Amino acid sequence: MARYVIRRLLQAIPTLLGVSIISFVLVYNSPGDPILIRTFDPNITQETREILRRQLGLDQHWALQYIGWMTGVTLRSGDAVEEFTRNEIRCNYLAVLNATFCNSGGGILRGNLGTSIATNQAVWERLVERMWATFQLGVAALLVSLLVGVPLGVLSAVRQGSPFDASVRVLAVVGNALPSFWFGLMLIFLFGVVLGWLPTGGMRTVSLTNEFDPVDRLRHLILPTIVLALGGIAGISRFMRTETLEVIRTDYIRMAKAKGVAARRVWFVHALRNALIPLMTILGPAILGVLTGAVIVETIFSWPGMGRMTFSAAVQRDYPTVLGAVMFFSILTILGNLLSDILYGVVDPRVRLS
Amino acid sequence: MKNKKLSLLAALLIAAMVLAACPQPTPVVETVRETVIVTQVVTETEEVVVTPTPVPPVQGGVWVEGSSADATILNPILASDSASFDVLGWFFPSLLGQDPFSGAIVPTEMASSWDVSEDGLIWTFHLQDGVMWSDGEQVNADDFKFTYDAIGSDLVETPRKANLDNIESIEVLDPLTIRVTYGEVKCDALNNLGLGWLPSHLYAEDYSDVMDSPLNQEPTVSAGPFIFNEWIRDDNSTVLRNDTYWKGAPNMDGWIYKIVPDPGARLAQLQTGELDLIGVQPEQLTTVQLDANLNLHKFKDDGYSYIGLNQANPANPQAGQDEDGNLVEQDPHPILSDLAVRQAIAHALDYDAIISKVYLGQGYQIASNVLPAVGWAHDPSLQPYAFDTDMASQILDDAGWTDSDGDGVRECNGCATAEAGATLTIRLQTNAGNTTREDLGALVQDQLNGIGFDIQFEAIEFGTLVGELLGQTFDMVIIGWTGLGTDPNDDSFWHSKFDTPGSGFNFVSYQNARIDELLEQAVSVPGCATDDRAPFYHDIQKIIHDDIPYVFVTGSVGNTGYSKKFDGTNPGPWSFYHNIETWSLAQ
Repeated sequence: MARYVIRRLLQAIPTLLGVSIISFVLVYNSPGDPILIRTFDPNITQETREILRRQLGLDQHWALQYIGWMTGVTLRSGDAVEEFTRNEIRCNYLAVLNATFCNSGGGILRGNLGTSIATNQAVWERLVERMWATFQLGVAALLVSLLVGVPLGVLSAVRQGSPFDASVRVLAVVGNALPSFWFGLMLIFLFGVVLGWLPTGGMRTVSLTNEFDPVDRLRHLILPTIVLALGGIAGISRFMRTETLEVIRTDYIRMAKAKGVAARRVWFVHALRNALIPLMTILGPAILGVLTGAVIVETIFSWPGMGRMTFSAAVQRDYPTVLGAVMFFSILTILGNLLSDILYGVVDPRVRLS
Repeated sequence: MKNKKLSLLAALLIAAMVLAACPQPTPVVETVRETVIVTQVVTETEEVVVTPTPVPPVQGGVWVEGSSADATILNPILASDSASFDVLGWFFPSLLGQDPFSGAIVPTEMASSWDVSEDGLIWTFHLQDGVMWSDGEQVNADDFKFTYDAIGSDLVETPRKANLDNIESIEVLDPLTIRVTYGEVKCDALNNLGLGWLPSHLYAEDYSDVMDSPLNQEPTVSAGPFIFNEWIRDDNSTVLRNDTYWKGAPNMDGWIYKIVPDPGARLAQLQTGELDLIGVQPEQLTTVQLDANLNLHKFKDDGYSYIGLNQANPANPQAGQDEDGNLVEQDPHPILSDLAVRQAIAHALDYDAIISKVYLGQGYQIASNVLPAVGWAHDPSLQPYAFDTDMASQILDDAGWTDSDGDGVRECNGCATAEAGATLTIRLQTNAGNTTREDLGALVQDQLNGIGFDIQFEAIEFGTLVGELLGQTFDMVIIGWTGLGTDPNDDSFWHSKFDTPGSGFNFVSYQNARIDELLEQAVSVPGCATDDRAPFYHDIQKIIHDDIPYVFVTGSVGNTGYSKKFDGTNPGPWSFYHNIETWSLAQ
């Protein structure tokens, strides 16, 4: 087991390297310029833009920028020690090469995701600030998806062809088809504006003290969770229906029925346990899907999460933040898939990790 | 008997005191007047009641503003987005004030007065005395000098470096006197002195910590009406009343900046009372107007929407001037360099329909580049182009753009600028996500195609559009200017020296030597009197109107919806919060 995990983690290194190169090339070659976007103002001179571009290293070839991003070491032609030496950046001039090497002490190889162009904050800090918000929403949505989706799917299979089964099918289609921005706004209008039962957005009721109030937090969580979970409920209920139908046609279920085991026990003990196994395979990607797919829900419900931050960073061409988020999500994906495989082995003794 | 009198006296006294404590003034006044004769004790009550003082403002309450975007950095010289200025504007004093209704520069902030030398180059500002930072240090001329010197430092990455243009020196004559010397007279130069001042006593003298200071995230020292409290990114920022604010501490406890990215959600939160102020979209106006708990502040904004027409060939962008400042003849745009085509476009658009259907009535037609808000420079005699499709068609016919093959699209048959047979095909672009501009693009495409154009309309992502604009690789673009301010100088849009592919804002490559000359003269009039500058701007507007580098679509109208929670709000077009320290919870 341990060897398997270590081997998988080692395999992740070239994967992450590939992700870093591809995402870097894609981001840096996408149209739009972070400096122009920041300075689309007639009062700002071209000279100022050039200074900003140089100070941020955006005037360099993308390959040099990539090396700088990975290692924290940048290379400049000529003697530029005075220009670039700052609090956290040490520069040395090498006369032999007529070049200046600057070491920021960062670089993602040293676990530093860089500094945001837009906010001048460490990217890691930006991600951590929002991680908890996205995590709360993601976990809540995933739990609701499972707690509602699994029973719906099993019951649909049990009552195959019944009006209940048809209703769940309709729910699944509607759940997949409803645009979350529309559904979210409708819920806000109904429960927030018309009925006044629930807050319309945000993580908390804002106040000058912003004190932690668990009930208030839960109330804010309800609507975005419903919207985010809707797609999951639809998907999981259909998946569970199919899996359960497959399981209940197997010999051991027929045997259990023939032995006179109570129907309820057959469905929810014998059938469900085995039908749940394949669910493990989609759980890893589902966790990640919820975490990363929350961009729209986070926007509609003013939820200060990572998805919204990454989206706005992309719009602002805040390269370090976008790349930092991509690397973070890549690591999560790899770990999610690994976890999924390990769990599969744990719940199904027939599967051996090798 | 004596006891009875004493009892009566005591009863009257008690009655008087009880009644005096009641909040209803009218009956109380009568009662107390009867009792004052009785005893000296009540005389004190008489002073309170008989000479009615104004109702004291109610202390407390919080105002919550909704915003689509969060601040990025709370440092006045590093920030470049409006959301950051919304928050940091509460903390940092500035040299010059602005009249909230006229937009004129007024001595309501740190500069209480100023003198100008006869040649107009030396400005001496006299500062308010007794203005303190919330940590007890005095705000003085050193803060101003430090701030502007920091902008110029190589250690500071800031888009504000242009604010130093033309400034030769900044001297501190004494803690309350600043002298700014300019290299040449520029009548709009004062606008560059409006940035917030940093508290210099909290920074390193060599500016080495300006970029990385924790104060950029938590500016804990303030000289404004509020003090920073907390900033939860992408969620909310809170500020608290500054009890030492030199104009008087606000009555409210604090102000909150809440991030609500979706416009529909913002409106919902305004209706539920979770927000007190939002910018209202045109389609949301009726909802706000019908809500008895809300006010609507409508004002002419300092911006306009336009269709920019590239005069130069987008396949060969060139600078407008060479290194010596001589005009460089442009490779002309094969279609849009033809004045007749530009005139036809200007006449083919139904501005009334555009303003009523696309802008939902929130706009007004303008004739040229100076808005009516800048009254002294605006030329009201100039008439906007009239919607007249027959005239537009006739102009195209006369200019040699005719539809000879009957496919509905005109071709060049003797036109002045394109090759024979070239179709009247033009790309029209705008930024995706701005639904108003997308709707306008569809309408413009429809109306121009109706007279024989072949408009290829596309909405592209903003960052990409900016690249195309400044790169000068577009044909026609729908976009707008905001925040034009109170000075009519907009040379960066028209002067040939700003026609620099990749960076300049004269991205339509408009080139007119007379305009260059007029723009330069208009900002260097000795004394800068508006009466002396106005004729130049009248000429400029006439020429821009006739040359049509832009088709002016509409002047911008702003709408702010806000709650009735506080009394004393008096919003002006240039500032909503100018008197916030006097607001008081509605009773």
